[in-house]
Amino acid sequence: METPSLTTQATNLAVAQPNSSNSFSIPFVEPSVRFDQVTLLIDGVKILDSVEAQVPQGSCTAIIGPNGAGKTTLLLCLLGQLAYSGKIHLSGQNPVLRYVPQKLEFDRGMPITVADLLALELQQKAIWLGVSRRIRQKTLDALAMVKAESIFSHKLGTLSGGELQRVLLALALLHKPDILILDEPAANIDIKGELLLCEILEKLRKELNFTQIMVSHDLPLVMSHATHVICLNHKVMGEGCPKKALQSGVLLATFGIHAELQNFFGFQQDARLPCNMQCAQNGHPHYPQSNFSERR
Amino acid sequence: MFDLSFIYDLIAQVLPWEWAQARFMQQALVGLLILSPMCAAMGVQVVNLRMAFFSDAISHSAFTGIAVGLLLSLDSRIAMLGIGLLVGVSITALGRHTSLSSDTVIGVFFSGAIAFGLAVVSRDPSVANDFQRVLYGDILTIGDAEILWMLVLCIILLAFQIIGFNKMLYIGLNPSLAMAHRVSVSKYQYCFAGLLSIVVVFLVWAVGVLLVTAMLIIPAASARHLARSARSMFWIAQVIAMIASVSGLCISAQAWANTATGATIILCLCAFFILSLCIAKIKH
Repeated sequence: METPSLTTQATNLAVAQPNSSNSFSIPFVEPSVRFDQVTLLIDGVKILDSVEAQVPQGSCTAIIGPNGAGKTTLLLCLLGQLAYSGKIHLSGQNPVLRYVPQKLEFDRGMPITVADLLALELQQKAIWLGVSRRIRQKTLDALAMVKAESIFSHKLGTLSGGELQRVLLALALLHKPDILILDEPAANIDIKGELLLCEILEKLRKELNFTQIMVSHDLPLVMSHATHVICLNHKVMGEGCPKKALQSGVLLATFGIHAELQNFFGFQQDARLPCNMQCAQNGHPHYPQSNFSERR
Repeated sequence: MFDLSFIYDLIAQVLPWEWAQARFMQQALVGLLILSPMCAAMGVQVVNLRMAFFSDAISHSAFTGIAVGLLLSLDSRIAMLGIGLLVGVSITALGRHTSLSSDTVIGVFFSGAIAFGLAVVSRDPSVANDFQRVLYGDILTIGDAEILWMLVLCIILLAFQIIGFNKMLYIGLNPSLAMAHRVSVSKYQYCFAGLLSIVVVFLVWAVGVLLVTAMLIIPAASARHLARSARSMFWIAQVIAMIASVSGLCISAQAWANTATGATIILCLCAFFILSLCIAKIKH
């Protein structure tokens, strides 16, 4: 298999733009995020080992891997909450990053409503002085986007997992993010809530044009919603569109299991985003190149 | 120096009862009217951030304050303020930079502060009187100078509550979410610790070391039972603190009661707490 050059990769990315009417008129589109040799040691243990990967502009990129693989750590590096070596390149000028945490640990008895939480983000003036009508409208609009306007005045502690996740999504969307980062968005919610959340995310990503990065170890979810996958187990084990990246060889290297996901889930390639295999076997010496050809 | 006598005259006219005619009662009332909104506002955050033990440690550092004041021949109130601030900021800094849990860090400072005070007083028993004073406090002895200082503090605190309330609520909800949404958590934590330390020292003068924490947390804790939103929690705490302080002062001055003012105020607050508990139980 021939190694694609850097320019080929870039052109592929341009083609991958859903909005581009003529793919050849855009010669180069920067990836939204590019991890460049990101390494992080905690107490002498390498949590992230020279992570090299990229997140295509406008994609829904899933970072998958087993527990303790460094997925959340990578997100925290991206958010600037952890000190790492290496570089993370972001495209555009001061892109707005917003984060939806895996599980919001909070005191469920605290008297704070959904409206209060959203107002905290928008209003400088203390909310005990009241919330202006303009901000109230804005928070209602944000909740409508995530189909949660009915829980506007509910106490945060009384919400279900799915509702809370959608409120956190609305919170993250208030400032029109360029990059939306979600940590295990479906971890604490039931299947109905998960479907609703994924549907909302898919719709909003197209409407608001943001790049979505999510950590997940829910492979069916990744197969049906992600357009780009980064397989992480301290190192990047593979990267590309789900069909290619989730081959059994890569899964074996990432999770240490044999799985033919493609056959298992009857995966259909996503027609909207032609996939570009720009990953593993070329850029990453750790990945055994033979696995790809063997399993095909 | 500002002349506050017009306020006292006003109180004497508005409140026709006998107890309200004495100047020291009027001063105590004004002091409480300034202190209780501060207590209620800070208390909301103390409850949300679970810092009751922190405020306890600051109040006990008053002993160290008196001891240091004695050793360096400083005014004991200035020394209490300085030591209170130092302990508050140190606990915050150490809590942020060690792997120890916050109650452990506070416990070390708490006992350290008391031990230092006791060590000094054991050398010089004449300080024991000062100890007695800070242990129980006395709102009835505050003068115009203290009231003016309280007013200055009240204005600073009001500014903080307007600018920082939302951020503190965010941090109270979940610090890492606040951090991810661009709240400078450490800056607000230090600011809050500093201001809370100052408020606690003022409260030590009024109600004494032992009752400071009650004064801070009971209005907010009762409001938590009754409130549905963050805004209503703030205002309910304000109302409870205000009513309990004034009624506590009033009751303590009655001939049939004749009790210590600080303790009476706390008892009134406790009554509100029990009432709020009952209302919350009935509602559910």
